[in-house]
Amino acid sequence: MMLLSLRWTSLIPEHRAHEESRLLMSPQAAVIADNPHLGVSPAALRVEGLSKTFPGTRGLIDAAIEIRPGEVHALVGQNGSGKSTLIKTLAGYHMPDPGALAEIAGEPFALGETVPEDLRFVHQDLGLVLELSAMDNLALRGGFIRGRAGRIRWREQERETYRILDRFDVELDIHRPLAEATPVQRTVVAIAGALQGWHGGRGVLVLDEPTAVLPHDEVERLLAMVREVRRSGTSVLYVSHRLDEIFEIADRVTVLRAGRVVRTLPVADVDHRSLAQLMVGTDVDPDYRAPVADRPDSPVVLELRDVHGRRLHGLSLQVHRGEILGVAGLPGDGVQELPYALAGHARHPVRGEIRLPQRSSAWSELADARQLGIPLVPADRAHEAIVSEFTVRENLTLSVLDRIGSRGRLDAAAEQGLVARWTERLAVVAASAEVPVSTLSGGNQQKVVLARCLARDPELLVLAEPTAGVDVGTRVAIYELIAGLARDGLTVIVSSSDLGDLLAMCTRIVVLRDGRVGAELGAEGLTEHELVNAIEGERSAHGANNATQ
Amino acid sequence: MQRNDALRPVPAPEPGAVDTKRPNPSRLPMTTRWLRGLAFNRIGAVYVWLGIVVVFSIWVPSTFPTLSTVKQVFNANALTALAALAITIPLAARVFDLSFAYTMTLSGVITAHFLGVGVPLVPAVLLGLGAGVLIGVINAVVVVVMRIDSFIGTLATGSLIQALITMATGGTAIISTRLQGGFAKIGQTNVSGFTLPVAYVLVVAIAMWFLLEHTATGRRLYATGFNSDAAKLAGVRVDRLRFMSLVVSGSLAGAAGLVLASTIGSGDPSAGTSYLLPAFAAAFLGATQLKHGRFNAFGTLIAVLLLGTGTTGLGLANAPQWAADMFVGAVLIASLAVTGIQRRSVTGSPGRLRSLLQRFRAVAG
Repeated sequence: MMLLSLRWTSLIPEHRAHEESRLLMSPQAAVIADNPHLGVSPAALRVEGLSKTFPGTRGLIDAAIEIRPGEVHALVGQNGSGKSTLIKTLAGYHMPDPGALAEIAGEPFALGETVPEDLRFVHQDLGLVLELSAMDNLALRGGFIRGRAGRIRWREQERETYRILDRFDVELDIHRPLAEATPVQRTVVAIAGALQGWHGGRGVLVLDEPTAVLPHDEVERLLAMVREVRRSGTSVLYVSHRLDEIFEIADRVTVLRAGRVVRTLPVADVDHRSLAQLMVGTDVDPDYRAPVADRPDSPVVLELRDVHGRRLHGLSLQVHRGEILGVAGLPGDGVQELPYALAGHARHPVRGEIRLPQRSSAWSELADARQLGIPLVPADRAHEAIVSEFTVRENLTLSVLDRIGSRGRLDAAAEQGLVARWTERLAVVAASAEVPVSTLSGGNQQKVVLARCLARDPELLVLAEPTAGVDVGTRVAIYELIAGLARDGLTVIVSSSDLGDLLAMCTRIVVLRDGRVGAELGAEGLTEHELVNAIEGERSAHGANNATQ
Repeated sequence: MQRNDALRPVPAPEPGAVDTKRPNPSRLPMTTRWLRGLAFNRIGAVYVWLGIVVVFSIWVPSTFPTLSTVKQVFNANALTALAALAITIPLAARVFDLSFAYTMTLSGVITAHFLGVGVPLVPAVLLGLGAGVLIGVINAVVVVVMRIDSFIGTLATGSLIQALITMATGGTAIISTRLQGGFAKIGQTNVSGFTLPVAYVLVVAIAMWFLLEHTATGRRLYATGFNSDAAKLAGVRVDRLRFMSLVVSGSLAGAAGLVLASTIGSGDPSAGTSYLLPAFAAAFLGATQLKHGRFNAFGTLIAVLLLGTGTTGLGLANAPQWAADMFVGAVLIASLAVTGIQRRSVTGSPGRLRSLLQRFRAVAG
C-alpha cells in the first residue's frame, strides 16, 4: 500500500522564463482554453472577476474558477496565495470587492452576502461539537425529527443517522461523544453532515484541507469517501497542501499564486514537478536534500534510557552533536509522544532517564525534563505555539523574556532589536513586528515559533511536525535553516509524519515500533521507498511474527 | 552566536506582504502616535464619558459641572476602583476571583473585631491583611492545585467566607469607639477635598501598569490568559503565575476591605458584597480600552470613571434609585457590543451593520 508519500518540497533556484510567460496568461483565457464545455451545460459553480482587498494587501486579484458537475476540482497554492481567501469569500465570511460574478448551476448569487443551499463546506476544523455524539452533531445541522410537543423521536433519529452514515464505510458508535472518535471518523461525520438533504447528487462540496489533521495511514479512507461523493454526482472543491492526494483524487486542478489564478488544467496534464512549479514559479526538485554534514564521531549530547509512557515502551536513544535525528513511525508508536516528553511536557506520565553528557554526567528523571529547558516547536501551531492575540514581537520573545532587560523589567529597545535580528535571519514576511501574529501566513507563523526557540541559543532543539500547514517554499527555507544550524553544532530531533521532512534534512532516522527503536537508517542514499518499508513493511512482518508465536 | 552566521536568509517572496524593515509603529512621528492613541476604538469609553459629562451639564447645570461633583465622583468610586484593580491581574491570566468581595468583608470584620477588643492598630491591620493573603492562598490551592475551575471554585470559597463571617458576627456590624481614632484616618483623611483612597488607587494602578506593561511577568500573565498551552510549551510557568495572581487578588481585596471598614467606620458583615458586580463590570469594560482585549489598569480606571460619573450624575438629577443600575447595564452592553463589532470589521469580516443583520437573520431563521 502506498499510503505514505512524499510531499513536494523543494526548489532549484533556476528560472525558466518561457515557462513563466506561458503561465501568466490571463486566468479567464486559461479557463476557457481548458473548458470545451463552456456555454454547453451550466457549470456546477462558476466565479469570475473575484478580487478581495485587505488593508495593505490584495488577497485575490481577478480570480476565476469553474467547477463542472460531478468533478473533483483541486485548489492548490502556497500559503498566502489566496486559497483561504477564496474559500472564505465563497462561505460568506469575506465581502469581495465590487464586480465579482458568481453562479451556481446557472443561478447567479451575491458573493459574500448569500451562501446558496447547493454550496456546502467542511472547514479545516470540521465545525463539530466534540462533546456531543455523531447523532447529535448530524441532527444539529439537518434538524431533529420531532414528535408532539417538540419531543425528539430518538428511535427514528437513530435510524436516520445510520442511513446518513451508511454510504460511507465507517464503524462508529453514534451515541458516544465525538471527542472519543478518531480524526477520520470525525471527518466522516462532518462530510456526511454537510451533505445532508441533498438527493441525486447535486451541488458543490468544499473540502478545506480535509487531510491536514489525519494520520497518513487514514488519508486513503478519506479519499475513498471523496470518491463516493463524486460517484453520486456531487462536485467537490478539494483544497490541499498535499500534491500526491491531488493526483490520486482530482480531475482538474486550479493553481493560485500571489492572489491570481495561474491556471486551471486537467490533472492528467501535469506531474508533481510541473504542478509544484506552477505553485512556486520556480523549478522543483523532488529529490531535494538539505546540505547536511554527517558527523558520527562527534560527542554524545543527549541520551535517553528506558523511557516508558503512554505509547513508549522502553525506548533508549543516543544523539550526537550536530546530528539531525529523524523520528518516524506509525501513529501508535510513540512518534508524537517523544518530542513532548523531551521538552518535559508529556500529556501522560512518563518514566525513564535522560542525560545531557555535555552538561552533566548524572542521569535525571525524564519526568523532570522541563528543568533542562530543551526548546520544542510543537506540532499543533494554532493551539500549542501561537498566542494569536499577541503581536509578532510578543510571540517571538515569549521564551526569552528573562534575557531582555534586567530584574524583570523589559527593555523595549533590546526587545525590538532582538526581534529585528531574528525576523531578518529567518526572513519572516510581516507588515511589521507590531502586527498581530494571526495576520501572518502559516509558514511565517512557523518561522516566528522557530525563532522563539532559537533565540534561546540552545544546543538542542526538538521539532514536532515542523512543516504542517507550511507552503513548499517556506518548507525548503526551514530545511536549509535547520541544516545550517546543525552544521554549526546544533543538535536537532525531528518527529514528523511527513516523510519529506525526514528525508530532506535528517542525517539519521530512527523508526519507532511499539514504543521502541525498531530500526535505524542512515540518511545517506535513503529513498522514500526504503523508509516506507521500514515503517510499514516490517511492521506487517513483525505483526505476522507475533501471530505465529 | 557564531552558529547563526550560517543562516542564509532564504528569499521567500510572499504575495501582498511587505518587508519587515519598514519602521515599526513605535517609531512613528509623534503626532501620528497621538492621533492613533486618541482613536475611538482605543479609548471609546473616554468619548462616551465626555458625552455623559455634556448631557448632565445641560440636564442639571446648577449642581453637576462643579468641583464638588468631581470630588464626589472620585471619592465615592475609589473603593470600586480598588476592587476592580484587585481582580485585574487574575483576569489577565484568565482566572476569576469571585470571592474577592467576601475577602473584603472578612478583612474589614477581622480588623474591626481586633480593634474592638483592644488590639493596637498596627497588629490589627496586619491581621486583616493577613486574612486577605490567606484567602488568596486558599483560592490558589483550590484553583491551581486541586484544578477546580476558578469561576466555580472561588464562588465556593466566597460562599464559605460569607458563612464564616455571619457565624462569627451573628450578622450584626461591629461598632466600637476604638474604630474612630487612627484607624479612621486610613480611609477618611481628606486632602483638599479628595480622600486618601483616591491616592491608594493611583499608586496601585501605576504599580499594576508597570507590572503588566513593562515586566516579563506581565507579558507571561497575558500569554497564560490568551493561550495557556502555548505559554506552557514556551517555558512559561503557567501554574505558578495563576497561583500568584490569586494571592495578589486576595491580598489587594484584603487591603481594600480595610479601607472600606475605615471609611464606613465599622465591621459590616456584608460590606463587600455590593462591590462584586461593579468591579467585574469595570474590569471587563476596561479590557476594551487602551489595549484591545487585555485587562489593564488604566483601562479599568477609565471604566470606573465612566460608570461612576453616570451614576453620580443620575443621583444629582434626582433620578429614581433603579436608574443607576439600568445605566450600568446599558453602558456595559452598548460598549462591549460596539468594540466587538469594531474588532470584527478590523479583521476583514463583514461590516458592522451587515454582521448585525446577519446575526439577526441567523437568530430569526
